[in-house]
Amino acid sequence: MAKVLIPTPLRQYADKQDSVEIGGATVGEVLAGLTSRYPDLKRQLYSDEGKLRSFVNVYVNDDDIRYLSRDASPVQDGDTISIVPSVAGGNLSNEEILRYSRHLIMPEVGMEGQIRLKNARVLLVGTGGLGSPLGLYLAAAGVGHIGLVDFDVVDFTNLQRQILHGTKDVGRKKLDSAADRMLDINPHIEIIRHEVALTSENALDILKDYEIVVDGTDNFPTRYLVNDACVLLGKPNVYGSIFRFEGQATVFAYPGGPCYRCLYPEPPPPGLVPSCAEGGVLGILPGVIGVVQATETVKLILGKGEPLVGRLMLYDALAMRFRELKLRRNPECPVCGEHPTVRQLIDYHQFCGVPQHEPPPPAGLTEWEVDPLEVKSKMDRGDRFVLIDVREPHEFQICRIPGSRLIPLGELVKRLSELDSAEDIVAHCKSGMRSGKAVDFLRQAGFRKVKNMKGGILAWSDKVDPRVPKY
Amino acid sequence: MIRIEREAWEVMLSHAGSHYPNECCGAMLGQVDGSRKTVRIAVPMENAWQGERHSRYELRPQDLLRADQEARSQGLDLVGIFHSHPDCDAYFSKTDLENSCPWYSFVILSIRGGRFDHANSFLPNADQTAAEAEEIIHPD
Repeated sequence: MAKVLIPTPLRQYADKQDSVEIGGATVGEVLAGLTSRYPDLKRQLYSDEGKLRSFVNVYVNDDDIRYLSRDASPVQDGDTISIVPSVAGGNLSNEEILRYSRHLIMPEVGMEGQIRLKNARVLLVGTGGLGSPLGLYLAAAGVGHIGLVDFDVVDFTNLQRQILHGTKDVGRKKLDSAADRMLDINPHIEIIRHEVALTSENALDILKDYEIVVDGTDNFPTRYLVNDACVLLGKPNVYGSIFRFEGQATVFAYPGGPCYRCLYPEPPPPGLVPSCAEGGVLGILPGVIGVVQATETVKLILGKGEPLVGRLMLYDALAMRFRELKLRRNPECPVCGEHPTVRQLIDYHQFCGVPQHEPPPPAGLTEWEVDPLEVKSKMDRGDRFVLIDVREPHEFQICRIPGSRLIPLGELVKRLSELDSAEDIVAHCKSGMRSGKAVDFLRQAGFRKVKNMKGGILAWSDKVDPRVPKY
Repeated sequence: MIRIEREAWEVMLSHAGSHYPNECCGAMLGQVDGSRKTVRIAVPMENAWQGERHSRYELRPQDLLRADQEARSQGLDLVGIFHSHPDCDAYFSKTDLENSCPWYSFVILSIRGGRFDHANSFLPNADQTAAEAEEIIHPD
């Protein structure tokens, strides 16, 4: 026989006894014996579906049966069975209730949804273009715990689109600038700063503490890393990407839905897809895509609406059109498929064919290079030479070196006849990369007196003429 | 009606004050006479909520089990649960209701700026869908 201790409020249903001796080999049998002897106790302990009510915990001596074998937990003669409530609670302060009133009056959010938002843990990977609207709106919405991953500092070229940061923040860590702005919007939230580059070594450890991961990265290795880590941890990956005037958004790694590798099994060849730094981006574009990501994040937390799962939203700012492509989970997907081959994080830089760190430029000048100061001296001496600028016409409009001739790299082949291989030629671009390609091409075409101005117009601005703006 | 004796009351206020701006929680032991409850001992407990405790609390069932055992050993009963609402009214929130237990009184202490402001007591129904206010008598 086991002794069942009856909580005070329930004694009225058990002949006012404070304990009862009941026989049975398991907890289930003892409780069945108890409720059959005192039928009024049943409604107190069990739901209409016959399950123990959510607040009822049962202990055999000092052990919770949830950590034994639940109803099947064995009971021996002399054991004591206790019925103990589980109790918890929570609230929003009056200030928060006022702050979130426009949420609270919508039944889809209400107090319950707002408390869900407050208890949610969301990781933003990147506090740049996409991370800015995400950070601002998720903070304002009351997402209680927001992790930020970034190791960059704010520079002037960020300010055209990264609206988390201001002119006064140039030179500061983006994490500090972002956290200050978000906490200014909403001091009731917690910001967790991860001042690291996300890597295969640290990603699982960082992501495991969050329920939802939002990808605001701008490179392929990190994108595959975030995807694989989310799949391995079973966490949704709210994805967005932007380039020039177009953007995409979807939710990957949602239970049953596709992942990034289902859409793009292989990364593009290195260099084929230019980054925003190389190709440019309309400053407003990350606003639109980041706000879509923020909306999906809030919907996932609330458990409301139709998540953007299995659908890739495409946005074209020039045409001002939204389209949608259907995405399906690939059963053969190496990470989320039925027979996954990727079971742990890999080397994503190698996978994408991108070196982890750019090799440092060789010190000094090669025989095909010329320093901007030397170019200036040639001008001052009146040396005969042709200075060609291989940038794009719209870049030529931003700034130019006096006397330079514009032949964009893409037109060089068909405009080769404009150049004379007998003349000295100096090519330049913004930083020296494109003009390096131009010099390689000209050399292959038989030009021998051609040189690349090292560091491009940026170095010209630094070394020769600071009035030439850098961009 | 629930009446809280001074000694127990002071333990509850001190527990709530020392945990401000977080929520505190604990159990109340005493006697029951029909619908009249008297709280003689307050048992402060750790807020076991795994997260930010400014607006959430959770009692460990093991702590309640021990409190129940303690009550029995002193000839008393577990009569209620108390918790604090920092900088917030002593209302019974939806989260409080949904995670409550209909067998006990739920006393909520409103603590503003670290000091006691007011208190209310509630009795949840069996399905945790509503709670009725219970008259509370305390020394302050």
